[in-house]
Amino acid sequence: MTSKLTAPIAELNGVSFRYAGGADVLKDMNFALNPGDFYFMSGDSGAGKTSLLSLLYLDRLPTKGRLRLFGSAVDEMSRAEKARTRRQIGVVFQDFRLLDHLDAFDNVALPLRIAGGKEGEIRRHVSELLAWVGLEKEMKSFPPELSGGEKQRIAIARAVISRPQLILADEPTGNVDDAMAKRLLHLFLELNKLGTSVVIASHNQPLIKHFNFPQLRLKDGELSIIQPASVVNMASKLFNKGGDHA
Amino acid sequence: MPKKSSIFFTPDSSRFFLVWITGVMAFVITLVIYGGGAAYSSLTAWQRSISGAATLQIPTYDDKGMSRADAIEQDVETALTILRASNGISGAELVPDDQMGRLMSPWVGEGAILSELPLPKLLNISVDTRNPPDFVQLKRDLADQVPLAVLDTHRIGLAPLLSVAGGVLHLIVFLLILLGLTTTFTIVYATRTSLAAHQPVIALIHLMGAGDFYLTRQYAVRHLKTAFAGAAAGVLCAVPILWGISAFVRHCAPEFIVATTSWHWAGLLLIPPVFAGLAFVTTFKTVLTYLKTFL
Repeated sequence: MTSKLTAPIAELNGVSFRYAGGADVLKDMNFALNPGDFYFMSGDSGAGKTSLLSLLYLDRLPTKGRLRLFGSAVDEMSRAEKARTRRQIGVVFQDFRLLDHLDAFDNVALPLRIAGGKEGEIRRHVSELLAWVGLEKEMKSFPPELSGGEKQRIAIARAVISRPQLILADEPTGNVDDAMAKRLLHLFLELNKLGTSVVIASHNQPLIKHFNFPQLRLKDGELSIIQPASVVNMASKLFNKGGDHA
Repeated sequence: MPKKSSIFFTPDSSRFFLVWITGVMAFVITLVIYGGGAAYSSLTAWQRSISGAATLQIPTYDDKGMSRADAIEQDVETALTILRASNGISGAELVPDDQMGRLMSPWVGEGAILSELPLPKLLNISVDTRNPPDFVQLKRDLADQVPLAVLDTHRIGLAPLLSVAGGVLHLIVFLLILLGLTTTFTIVYATRTSLAAHQPVIALIHLMGAGDFYLTRQYAVRHLKTAFAGAAAGVLCAVPILWGISAFVRHCAPEFIVATTSWHWAGLLLIPPVFAGLAFVTTFKTVLTYLKTFL
């Protein structure tokens, strides 16, 4: 039996999912996301990217197969365990889901407050992160007063503020320019270097190519993994070298 | 910066509704408890005063209409002796003729000559209510030595009073149960309305890893404070009305004993905490049930 400490962050064994009364959106998926992995997730609209992410952040349960998160089967978790598991996952929603009655600071501080963080530390961490994403002047602004790009940056800051072990982002750079998109991706990279696993759903092919990480490709509900060009080239070189020797 | 307890609450009408409804309920409950309690206390006080007295009548004329003037004094003395010797009787006195005259004046006029009327001699008997006499044995003793004497223990008048007091008590309990249930259902309704209004916020906080207890506590504490404030306002509004009614009754109908003490008034202070506790428990259960609909 795999120890929880060394277990994959997420493990899908024959996972399928369908909405009530519909056909399978995700079909028989087998995949393991290990600590420190970084994946882009791509696929056409309706391919099931958001559905797969919602399984991973425990908004839904698979209709078939077994999903394990941090070593535990989600269908066997108690409600308290599910809450603890969710606190280890940072999510950037496609529609941001910011709370309009809270200012930027309090929106970002939300996960820390839910986790029972100390107010002094919350203030320091949130201020630093908002400065990093270039929103230190908008700290007291409310979401309806902010642009789409600013809201997106707040949503990202909120997802990463508690240093989760897994970050799931649904089109996190859809509303920002290329420069800001790269800057935000670097934030995810920094966290990834510290051991956080990252899965980013994106349509932005230039960005995916630029960062050159493996892709989870969804098509017709089926999952395939595409290795980046550099890995493929290296593999083929090794294969060719091996061939030469032979 | 919002406090932790207000992370996900935006102003919504359910809170105003809850303040209003708990205020009105506390107001009505205060009137029921205080008004009903005072009425019940008055009835039981009357009951005690009646059950603490009895009357013995010794007719001055026999059943053939013949005067008993020669025997009446002896009968009175014998009856007083028997009564004063009985356990449970703390005193027995002959009602003097002048007092009888005052009692009868509404019917026979001020100048009437009582000695010409066939009025019985009346003996007022004081009963020890904690150790009442055996009235059956007493009647037997009196019948032996003063056969024409009639003992009136006021039991006939007491029975309907006891029945009314019991009815008042049942009515108070019924009203309190009715109002308590109405308040509970109202809190459930207000909580569900608020949950529906805040559904997207709750769903988000739930996905961020907030446990059921965290979310439930936020709501329960909020409703505890709201219900306390509403109930306190309701009681505060009821107090001057109760005070006015008490003053009016004391002034206009002093024979009605509004038996209230400082304990009655202090008891009103319990209403807001009781409402707050009811709101806390009801909200806690309602929110917990609602959260079970989330994964």
